[in-house]
Order: sequence, then structure tokens, then C-alpha cells
Amino acid sequence: MEFLFFISAIVAIAGTFLLVAHKHAIYSLLGLLLALTASAGVFLALDAPFIAVSQILIYAGALAVMFLFVLMFTDTRTGEDTGLPKAVTARATFDEALLRPKKRKKKKDKDKEPSKLNPLRFLVPINPMALVISLCLLVCATFAIGQLPDDLSRFDNLPNAYDGTLMTPASVTPEEAAANQNYLEFGSTEAVSRTIFEGFPLAFEVVSLLIFAALLGAVLLARRHLAGTGMPGTQDVGKESEHA
Amino acid sequence: MLEPKIVLFLAAFLFSAGVYGVLSRRHLIMLLMSLELMLNAVNIVLVTFSRVWAGRWSGAEGTGLIGAHSGQFFTLMVMAVAAAEVGIGLAIIVAIYRRKHTADADAAADLKG
Repeated sequence: MEFLFFISAIVAIAGTFLLVAHKHAIYSLLGLLLALTASAGVFLALDAPFIAVSQILIYAGALAVMFLFVLMFTDTRTGEDTGLPKAVTARATFDEALLRPKKRKKKKDKDKEPSKLNPLRFLVPINPMALVISLCLLVCATFAIGQLPDDLSRFDNLPNAYDGTLMTPASVTPEEAAANQNYLEFGSTEAVSRTIFEGFPLAFEVVSLLIFAALLGAVLLARRHLAGTGMPGTQDVGKESEHA
Repeated sequence: MLEPKIVLFLAAFLFSAGVYGVLSRRHLIMLLMSLELMLNAVNIVLVTFSRVWAGRWSGAEGTGLIGAHSGQFFTLMVMAVAAAEVGIGLAIIVAIYRRKHTADADAAADLKG
């Protein structure tokens, strides 16, 4: 349990650094994938196998592929050169106001000839303000974690089984729990599904509605903008494809 | 011995890194990816406390099957909401990219006064 957790934690932290620091969005996506898969390992170490499998299915399977598709649609360059005229962006005006033009130009010249052997050339420059804010957040969170009461700061042994009908931990031996099908193990698929359908059925239904609404909204938003004002007509679509 | 505090610190680190990503990057897809990381950190906290609570089964209220697994249920809900959010968010990014030919967050400033 500890070994799996620490390996997963190291991989997750490495993936996080890759996500935050790499210039190219594809590599950042790879880092996100690493971090999310390693989180599945953390869930496994915390006796939640169903959540771990869902994590890999939903995040690594579905979300990463969705990100990949959209990255293929749009340009993958991040950071400063997005092809946008400098004056358009709010950041440019900010830079104009704060930095002297001379200094900015000098910095630009330095950026133009990066050493090919420098391994740091793939990293985006550190944003000091964001670093300060996130470090403050980390310090506050660490302080709050330190205040955790003692009875919550240890992992006690799990009960051998949960009684599926009585909804209480059953005080049985492991052999009895394995023999009787009514006894459910912590984190097993059946235990989680009983929690969903007997504990929170309304929330489950509402979430299905939410996903349906999100599906419709995504189709509506990502659809090619039609020239006509009426229904999404076939004529307009034909015209547009002719132009393209 | 694995302690909840260590796991919670990992979650706090992932969350802060996500905040850093959201604040420092200007590419819209990078913003969404960092948001995913933050939601994932919250999931880790929920599963951790689910496991902590399941270990305290001395007949206290809420230590039954549903009480012990509710943290994992909330995790599933967060995953569903994250999936919906990413679907909508990516659709919006595609729409912005069609109009502006860039995925820069500063380009979507039409409502700026």
C-alpha cells in the first residue's frame, strides 16, 4: 500500500511539472495523462479499486482523447507566440505599461537565439505572480492539513465486510465474509453501486441529466456557425462547404 | 506507515500546481487541463477521507455501507461534472478558435469595456 502510493505520488508530481512547465501543449497533455493515471494508483492504494478503474476509463480514456482532438484542431503552440498581433492582447498592453521598451527589446533578442543544447528551452518562463499565489495556497493548505485532528489522521483497519442488507459493518471473520455473498468488501463495485442506487439515487439521475445537457450544449457550440437565421438548414451548410 | 496527512499534502500540491497552471498560461486548452488537475486533487481528498471514515467502524453513526462509501460516490459525481465541463469547454474553445483563429485566452475579450 505504501509502496504503491509513493510510486504513484512521484509519478503524479513529475506529470504535474510536465503539465505546467512544458511549452508544447501535446507534452502538457502527456503530463496530465501521467498525473491522472498516477492518481488512479493513489486510489488503488486507498482501497478504492472501482474509483481507480473509473479514473482510468473516464480521464485517461475519454478526456485525454477529447483534449487530443481539440489540440489537433487548434494550434499547439502556447506561451508567447500565438500569431496574434501584440497590440490586441491585454497582456501586451500590460507589458507596454510596465516594462520599458528598451528592456523588452533586449529580452526579445535574447529569446530569439536559444541554444539548441539548452534543455530548458522547452520550458515556459516562470510567472512570478502566479508562483507566489499558488505557493501561498500550498502553505495555507499545508497549515490546514497540520490542524487535522488526531482521530482523523490515521488509516485504521477496514471492517472485514459490510452487510448489504443491514447497512452496517458486519463483525465477521474474513473467511465468513468470503463465503457469504451478502457481505460486501469495502470499495468493491457492488458496495459502490449500492451506495449510488440506495443512498443517492436522485443525485445520480440529476448527473445523467447534466451530462445530457452538456452533450447537447457541446454539439450546439461546436457546430459551424450558419449564415441563415432559421433552423440549422442544409442549404447554408452546403454553401459554406463550397467556399471552403 | 501511510498517513492521511501525506496523501492530503499530495492533493494540496496537485491543486496548487493546477492553480499555477491556470494563472500562468494563456492557452485556453492549458487552462482546462490545469482545471482538470485541480478537480483531480479534490477527488484524492474525497477518497482519502472515505478511507479514513471507513476505518472507524465502532458502531458510530454513518459508518455503514453508504456512509463509508459516500466519499467515493462524490468522487464519481465530480468525475461526471468534470467530463461535462470539459466537453462544454472544448466546444467553446473550438468556437473561439473558429472566430479568432487563435486559442489565446486574451483574444476572447469582446465584452471588455
